[in-house]
Amino acid sequence: MSSQRSFEPCASEADIISTVEFNHTGELLATGDKGGRVVIFQREPESKNAPHSQGEYDVYSTFQSHEPEFDYLKSLEIEEKINKIKWLPQQNAAHSLLSTNDKTIKLWKITERDKRPEGYNLKDEEGKLKDLSTVTSLQVPVLKPMDLMVEVSPRRVFANGHTYHINSISVNSDCETYMSADDLRINLWHLAITDRSFNIVDIKPANMEDLTEVITASEFHPHHCNLFVYSSSKGSLRLCDMRAAALCDKHSKLFEEPEDPSNRSFFSEIISSVSDVKFSHSGRYMLTRDYLTVKVWDLNMEARPIETYQVHDYLRSKLCSLYENDCIFDKFECAWNGSDSVIMTGAYNNFFRMFDRNTKRDVTLEASRESSKPRAVLKPRRVCVGGKRRRDDISVDSLDFTKKILHTAWHPAENIIAIAATNNLYIFQDKVNSEMH
Amino acid sequence: MEFKLEAHRIVSISLGKIYNSRGQRGGIKLHKNLLVSLVLRSARQVYLSDPCPGLYLAGSPVPPPQPGEPAAGPPAGWGEPPPPAARAAWPEPETPPERPAGPDARRAVDAEPAAPGAGDTLQGGEAAATAEAAWRRAEVPRAAAAGGAGDPAGGADVCPEGPRAAHRPCACPPGGEAGPGALSCAPRPAKDERPVPPPGCPRKRGAAAGDGPADCPAPGSSPLKKPRRHPEEPAGGAAAEEEEMETGNVANLISIFGSSFSGLLRKSPAGGREEAEAEESGPEAAEPGQICCDQPVLRDINPWSTAIVAF
Repeated sequence: MSSQRSFEPCASEADIISTVEFNHTGELLATGDKGGRVVIFQREPESKNAPHSQGEYDVYSTFQSHEPEFDYLKSLEIEEKINKIKWLPQQNAAHSLLSTNDKTIKLWKITERDKRPEGYNLKDEEGKLKDLSTVTSLQVPVLKPMDLMVEVSPRRVFANGHTYHINSISVNSDCETYMSADDLRINLWHLAITDRSFNIVDIKPANMEDLTEVITASEFHPHHCNLFVYSSSKGSLRLCDMRAAALCDKHSKLFEEPEDPSNRSFFSEIISSVSDVKFSHSGRYMLTRDYLTVKVWDLNMEARPIETYQVHDYLRSKLCSLYENDCIFDKFECAWNGSDSVIMTGAYNNFFRMFDRNTKRDVTLEASRESSKPRAVLKPRRVCVGGKRRRDDISVDSLDFTKKILHTAWHPAENIIAIAATNNLYIFQDKVNSEMH
Repeated sequence: MEFKLEAHRIVSISLGKIYNSRGQRGGIKLHKNLLVSLVLRSARQVYLSDPCPGLYLAGSPVPPPQPGEPAAGPPAGWGEPPPPAARAAWPEPETPPERPAGPDARRAVDAEPAAPGAGDTLQGGEAAATAEAAWRRAEVPRAAAAGGAGDPAGGADVCPEGPRAAHRPCACPPGGEAGPGALSCAPRPAKDERPVPPPGCPRKRGAAAGDGPADCPAPGSSPLKKPRRHPEEPAGGAAAEEEEMETGNVANLISIFGSSFSGLLRKSPAGGREEAEAEESGPEAAEPGQICCDQPVLRDINPWSTAIVAF
């Protein structure tokens, strides 16, 4: 797999990338960061002139999506960090995306302007009104090309829908509605209506002392506009059907795997919390990520996942330390490739892992500047857990837990992946195997 | 024993996390605090149920009857295990606590272990102080001698009911009896590390979202409110524990957080705590199936006020 290049803004907390998302064609890649900014990259069309820069991503637009706010009633600051970005399916020349922080979702419209009219009758070049006596003939204004200008404007602001922190948004396949989920509730919005939303899931107990689990992620089914899934901190998934009731507190299907008693520890509950859930492109499967594993679930089987892959099981004996340094609370995302044959997720030390579901082979790769010179080929890495140690192996104790890859995205059709490593974005393309297997 | 130390360490870490979460930008993260509270509860259960002798913390069955008993000296440090050397001085009790139903009052133990001799001295005058001192030195196999003290010097009590507020801070029996080698009420080592909690609700009602794990109690409920004595208590001992909370007894904190958030306590403690619709303050986990002990005493503690006090 060859690397493109990395985009490296100055290292500051605000530049930490907090979400990465390709649009539906893969032409655009949006990233959000802790400072509330959104940066959109566009893939350059392949050109014969520069065969080596075919299909690379360049910055397309940058805008400030969210600002820090202060809730005076609760004496709370609302972070401007972008938690999630979701693209809307493109319906005209403009692109639209939803971006959200902890409390407010915004719909942004991205348009291009590459022509401008020239030759007005009543205005001159600078826009000043002409003296009518000097106008002797009429001309038709013509559109002349200009430097491409990308304009981004906020079209909708969906505010005050959530008491708790929003953790996910998902656009429905009907292209008219979307849902937003916080720790305890999920709301359904219409893209055109900002002053109200419908609450479709509410797991807040009457007495907060009885709270045992929270919602950690949610997503609409890619094809069935009535189905959605949400994951919980207890490791369960609930598939809900909006046709069944207005309030989908009762699930249609509950997916959970019984805990392995031999693995019980103080931290069993934490590591079973699902940090991300993604439907496969086919809609038949779901992918979940918990602290140590990724699991593939078949929608037709609720009792247990059909596949479980260990991401970094060597951390199981280190949970106490990871609890101390808060790493155990890291929320890793997961991703499918376009053909649902390979799944990918991030880990520590800037490693990310890919699992081929068909061959059952897995690989660990590193997103680092050294390994990512342009056109460099990524070398598989290995973490050694005692026993025989090969030359380039990394030992568990020398892993850098501050370098974590929480956000990854896979191009919907090609073998191109975007990896967010703290404040750096890496884009890797598999030129050799650009066909999906 | 190692489990106990590990559990204790985890408890301390967890409490620190909960405390620190108050100052986080963006408000309390409900998910993280819920997970921390689950860990806290697990650790607490292990800690309390581990039959290994608890050198500095054990369940005492009989709280002292005097409510007026002052918190003599700074509360004993529950937060720190006694120094290993001192620990070695403790003759390990061989038997697990023999009072199964009894253990309810748990007191903060002086972090400075006394020589066994002192313990015996205490024992003698135990009548008033009863189990407290005895309990405190539970590790001392006073069990044998404890007959008179009436309490199980019982190492770890089986019932993880949690530290009752009977937090006799220090070993000094009432009257300041100090026999040879009298235990000194050493200041809690942990106390210095913990910020002194404000005695009252520091925030307005409704604005408690950014607060620690405790909502403000309804106005009028004083953090110093004494819990009702529960008639079932073995020695009719007072649940005089609560007042000691203001010393920031970690043991009590754990019990408060663990219990109330897990629904072990009665749901509506007297004093009423405000259920803010706003951002929930802190984690709450309820797993009724995991109730280790349903000692009724704890129910009377107003968890929110004590928690607030502690923080």
